[in-house]
Amino acid sequence: MSQARQYELVYILSPDATEQEITDLHAQIESIIARYQGELVRTENWGRRKLAFRIGKHREGTYVLEVFKGSGELTKELDRRLKVIDNVIRHLCVRVDEELRLAERTRARREAETQRRIARGLPVGGRSRRADDEGGDDDQADRAEV
Amino acid sequence: MAEERRGRGGSGSKARGNGRSGEKGGPRRGMFRRRKVCKFCADKVDYIDYKDAKMLLPFVPERAKILPRRISGVCAMHQRKLQTAIMRARQLALLPYSTD
Repeated sequence: MSQARQYELVYILSPDATEQEITDLHAQIESIIARYQGELVRTENWGRRKLAFRIGKHREGTYVLEVFKGSGELTKELDRRLKVIDNVIRHLCVRVDEELRLAERTRARREAETQRRIARGLPVGGRSRRADDEGGDDDQADRAEV
Repeated sequence: MAEERRGRGGSGSKARGNGRSGEKGGPRRGMFRRRKVCKFCADKVDYIDYKDAKMLLPFVPERAKILPRRISGVCAMHQRKLQTAIMRARQLALLPYSTD
């Protein structure tokens, strides 16, 4: 059960890190994930971006996103490693599976509700309506049709 | 501040009652105020992504403080999610903590 935890790790490398260093670090993280029986889902390199504020002396950074599945110990280990590496100026690891599952569930529920309303011939749109001035008009129109 | 909030509450109950021309909303200022709708509910957003700085930007105007719900009209649930998203984005320097 706990194996299904999904995390998103974003780290910012200093702008003077070379391509080689970026790939090296990626490989290193991949190996750590593998060592803890985790599973790398996907990686994204956002490239160089301007930072919203200065971190240390940096104004820019290279962002890398890693999505992986694994245990809590794995994130702890990654956290520890990333803190030590000088090239990494900032990192953040967030657990996302619960939030994504919740989002999925609300989406599914809304779809089911829409289906039900279509089947019953009710106006589609749902409960967010009642106090909404602009929506009010076409809501009325819908009802008139039925 | 308190006065402002009372005004808002009045407008809300009025809209729920009998539309914009109702007189029973208590002391009213002459201004016509449109009722705000939660942007995320309207767009059916389930997950507010902290990585999407462009989407979060309208909610941190000028001073980079989080825009209060009473101004943006975002519903309570989405405001909470928005808050965590903004705080995460700030940690990653995608959004500023403050500007001067």
